[in-house]
Amino acid sequence: MSLKSLAFVLALGGLLAMTLSARAEDPVFNLTIRDHRFEPAELQIPARTKVKLLIKNLDSTPEEFESHELHREKVVPPGQEVAVFIGPLDPGTYPFFGDFNPKTAQGKIVAK
Amino acid sequence: MIAIAFITFREVLEAALVVSLVMAASKGTPRRGRWVAGGAGLGALGAGVVAALAAEIAAMLAGVGQEVFNATVLFAAVAMLGWHNVWMGRHGKEMAIGAATLGRQVLAGTRPLYALAIAVGLAVLREGSELVLFLDGLIAAGNGEGLWEGVLLGFGCGAGLGIVLYAGLLRIPTRYLFSVTSWMILLLAAGMAAQGAAFLSQADLLPALGNRLWDTSGLLSESSIPGQILHVLVGYVSQPSGIQLLFYVATILVVGALMRRFGEAPPAVTRLAVAALAVWGGFAAFSVARADFQVRYPTVEYGELEFEHNGSTTFDKPNSGRSNDQSYTNSIGYGVTPWWMVELEGEWAAPPGQNLYFDALTLENIFQLTETGEYWADLGFFAELSHGMRRGDPDSVTFGPIAQKEIGNTLHTINVFFGKEFGQGASDATELQLAWQSRWRFHPLIEPGFEYYGDVADLAHPGKIADQEHRIGPGLFGEYGFPPNGKLKYEVAYLFGLTRGTEKGAVRWKLEYEAHF
Repeated sequence: MSLKSLAFVLALGGLLAMTLSARAEDPVFNLTIRDHRFEPAELQIPARTKVKLLIKNLDSTPEEFESHELHREKVVPPGQEVAVFIGPLDPGTYPFFGDFNPKTAQGKIVAK
Repeated sequence: MIAIAFITFREVLEAALVVSLVMAASKGTPRRGRWVAGGAGLGALGAGVVAALAAEIAAMLAGVGQEVFNATVLFAAVAMLGWHNVWMGRHGKEMAIGAATLGRQVLAGTRPLYALAIAVGLAVLREGSELVLFLDGLIAAGNGEGLWEGVLLGFGCGAGLGIVLYAGLLRIPTRYLFSVTSWMILLLAAGMAAQGAAFLSQADLLPALGNRLWDTSGLLSESSIPGQILHVLVGYVSQPSGIQLLFYVATILVVGALMRRFGEAPPAVTRLAVAALAVWGGFAAFSVARADFQVRYPTVEYGELEFEHNGSTTFDKPNSGRSNDQSYTNSIGYGVTPWWMVELEGEWAAPPGQNLYFDALTLENIFQLTETGEYWADLGFFAELSHGMRRGDPDSVTFGPIAQKEIGNTLHTINVFFGKEFGQGASDATELQLAWQSRWRFHPLIEPGFEYYGDVADLAHPGKIADQEHRIGPGLFGEYGFPPNGKLKYEVAYLFGLTRGTEKGAVRWKLEYEAHF
């Protein structure tokens, strides 16, 4: 294998390693979707910390957790729970909504 | 006289069937007769105009004007009928139950009605102009005896059969009438889409994908009367080409899915759409896509259907052989699982000095490997199989990692792809395609940034950097959502050529509509 190819493979491997590098356990917060609403509608999380949101959909239809401010959108199939990672966030308010039921599914994350 | 009668009968029958179906589908809506008649009248007027301008239309678009015109008329009708079905799915039930007030009925009555009127108008336009042209041809060839008798006889029989269909449809109880006519309109639209595809493949703007998938003309000939009726109503074709079947299935799939998502389509329509999806999947062909300019992202949205258009064109000195190199792709993608998206793409090309032609058919896959934001960067994988459509064009496979990272309010994405050709005309080289994008998330509608694209034709012999292709330039990206009905996305960038091996400038754009099903 030429030196060039070796360097290339190493660089790619390095990228992979950095990406999957272990990190301390992220704090976990829970959101529930019930009757096309998010519960709680206002969720407080620590600022400047990576947070794992566990979103469980108790309805019989899918919902999509979406937020422009958080730059996240993820479909939550009925009866299932998905994980969405957000942060580290500067202190502030970050609204989110349910893309499939935008009129009722509304909420916000408050980072303090 | 008989030939004239038969041709007239055929054309009038096709239009009459559409009219009858539309009339039955809109039963109960006040003043629908007026709308349908108005549409038909305008269509007839248009037919006269088209027939008069027939030669000019054919000359437009380098001799394939007629086919493109026909295909456009057909696809416009498909869109109108599809819209009607989706709209009726939403409101049809209310109207049937009689829950609507008179005011709402009138309002509800006008909206899909003008879509139906347009569909009727387009049907009359098509058939009418064909009829006038046929008769013109017959008269010019000296076979115009008994013109008026023939036309009257043909018209009478065609219209008569249309009325019979209408009466038959009306005997269906109202509570079933809407779903039955929705089905029939769905199949009618699918048949029209298949016909439009046939015209475009005739004009060499779409591949035939197999000229005769089956031959049932022994069982039921298309020129027989029942064959004609079946042709108009459900799109029956005795010797279909692959692209006709593809468009037929795709229309059922897309309109059926839209009906399901936005309306209250009967479950059977959904099942039909799912079956169509299976057939569609079986039709996935491989194609060699050239280095088109787009950055791929490592995220997949489960259950999302997207329609995408990409385009690019180059600018350089007129005789450099690198100016006005155009490439367009149109594709449909679907998030099959939360981590796998598949996309079927057609690519059209117009290299410098050449006309537009269908270049390649491609199957693309994006795999999302990590949860967004969980690790230092988000990882994805891209794999594409491409089939060159022109004789002697090779096939190719392109694959590689995608990485993306959020830094504050900025987003950075990199693609490192490797390409290899195989099959007839393939070169031995392994190609390297690099892409980089950085953007500032100023506002969802407007995110400014820049892109870089690099291309090394042969990794084993990379040569001087000056001979490779490298481009960089500013871009604008954004999206506009209208939940829960999906969102529109756009990307546009101007790329400056950095080396002597690259054109001076290029512009690329992407337009996308995505919605969940």
